[in-house]
Amino acid sequence: MAAAPSNVLLVDDEEDFVEMLSLRLQEIGETVLAASSGKQCLEILAATEVDVIILDVKMPGMDGIETLEKIKQAHPLVEVIMLTGHGTIESAIQGMKLGAYDLLLKPADFGELVEKLNRARQRKQEQMERIRDAEASKP
Amino acid sequence: MEQGRRVNGIELLLVDDEKDFREILVKRLGRRGFKVGALESGEAALVRMQEQPVDVIVMDVKMPGLNGIEALKRIKEDHPATEVILLTGHADTQDGVEGIKAGAFDYLSKPVEIEHLVRKITQAQNKIRRFRAAQQETEFRERITQQMVVAERLAALGTMASGVAHEINNPLAVIQDAAGWLQQILAKPEMEGMARRADFEKALDRIHKAVQRARRITQQLLQVVKTQTAELADPAGMTDVRLRELAEEAIALVEAEASLKKVAIHLESRAPHPVAWTDPYQLLQVLLNLLTNSIQATPAGGRITVSLQVSVEAAKIAVQDTGSGISPDHLTRVFEPFFTTKGVGQGTGMGLYVSWGIIARLGGLITVESQVGQGTTFTITLPVKK
Ligand SMILES: Nc1ncnc2c1ncn2[C@@H]1O[C@H](COP(=O)(O)OP(=O)(O)OP(=O)(O)O)[C@@H](O)[C@H]1O
Ligand SMILES: [Mg+2]
Repeated sequence: MAAAPSNVLLVDDEEDFVEMLSLRLQEIGETVLAASSGKQCLEILAATEVDVIILDVKMPGMDGIETLEKIKQAHPLVEVIMLTGHGTIESAIQGMKLGAYDLLLKPADFGELVEKLNRARQRKQEQMERIRDAEASKP
Repeated sequence: MEQGRRVNGIELLLVDDEKDFREILVKRLGRRGFKVGALESGEAALVRMQEQPVDVIVMDVKMPGLNGIEALKRIKEDHPATEVILLTGHADTQDGVEGIKAGAFDYLSKPVEIEHLVRKITQAQNKIRRFRAAQQETEFRERITQQMVVAERLAALGTMASGVAHEINNPLAVIQDAAGWLQQILAKPEMEGMARRADFEKALDRIHKAVQRARRITQQLLQVVKTQTAELADPAGMTDVRLRELAEEAIALVEAEASLKKVAIHLESRAPHPVAWTDPYQLLQVLLNLLTNSIQATPAGGRITVSLQVSVEAAKIAVQDTGSGISPDHLTRVFEPFFTTKGVGQGTGMGLYVSWGIIARLGGLITVESQVGQGTTFTITLPVKK
């Protein structure tokens, strides 16, 4: 099976943070897209195939929870990892109930982030395969 | 011992220059249940008050040397709470009036009618008891007020500190990832022959460690504030905790550090199975903070005692040490974030602040008593299940 191009989307209003984390992820071979708002995130999703989104809970304008709800409506198979500070853990947990795959406490340890990213991507691929199998077995 | 004895904690003294009168009065008062010390002069009474003050004095006015009124004035200067009943000559109201002005409780004229004297002594004793009770209540109120002042100040400091921690967390994440990125680049095969590679690696390692340290601090600060805003702990974490087992676990975790410093730790429990309604993991964290502080403050040969106590209302855990103690002006500040007397890298001053936050959230109370050069006792009071 050819490795499908796998896209990671980083959503955070702190631009320096998004930039640095993108550079690190690219360094280990990831293809990374970046958005600095919930709105921008949804625009990118509408145009591009994305596997995993790393989404900040606290953003001005549309916050992480609202963004998550819109993502799950339009793209239910995309996996989302919530990034949260100490003050917003409750929101992140609410995000898990709304279908987020996992949460990460800021500032996150890079190794942990990569691990969760890989697991989320794996789950997405398994879901996709199941759907393909089901479709293939249709008479 | 023969010079004045305690009756219900209130000491009584008779001062009169006439030996026979003294002895008869002591005997008659004794028959009515009063134990009285006796002295023969105003001077002797002053000496006695310096060495071992009494609460009620029955004193003759007419004495050679220092008379009763002069002695009364001098006694009242140093011991305003001591009550003096004067004995005046027959029909000598002038002395009595002067005595009252000088602060006497009352006066009786000789010959003394014993029932009358007993009544006066009893009244003076009651006045002293009321005074002591009021004093205790004032002290109690002051302690509570002080605790509230401390709690308010901590809350204000916490709000401010958490704001700072929040703002610092974001740039911290940027620093961490920027340094991490450089480390990743250095690890690439094409970077192997890079000039001064070791220097880069060293500097990046230091950045990484410093970020870790700052992160620990911001996390502790945010943890406390979270506990403040969440009011009481999530009941899910609360359970009946066997305090003896928990204390044993805490002691086992610090045992190595203690024996290295030659400090012994003992566990005492009056109740056979003390139990508190609380969160075991959080309480363990507090115990570890307290024990670590005690070990650090206690010189070799010292002793730390963890004692457990339960009643129907509350469970108490005390950590007592024979260490350096805490000076009174530091005592009101030890629970503040960043208050430390330890050197850089030795302590951040977060241990007690975090502990205070945890205990407050568990619906309990943490207090401290200390005597410089003697030692320190921290006491945790926790709720029990009703
Ligand atoms: N048992 C004790 N005996 C004497 N002094 C104490 C004791 N416990 C605390 N202190 C004093 O209170 C200060 C604050 O204690 P706290 O535990 O909050 O911070 P720390 O021990 O200095 O640092 P950290 O706990 O963050 O490593 C200490 O620096 C010390 O001066
Ligand atoms: Mg400490």
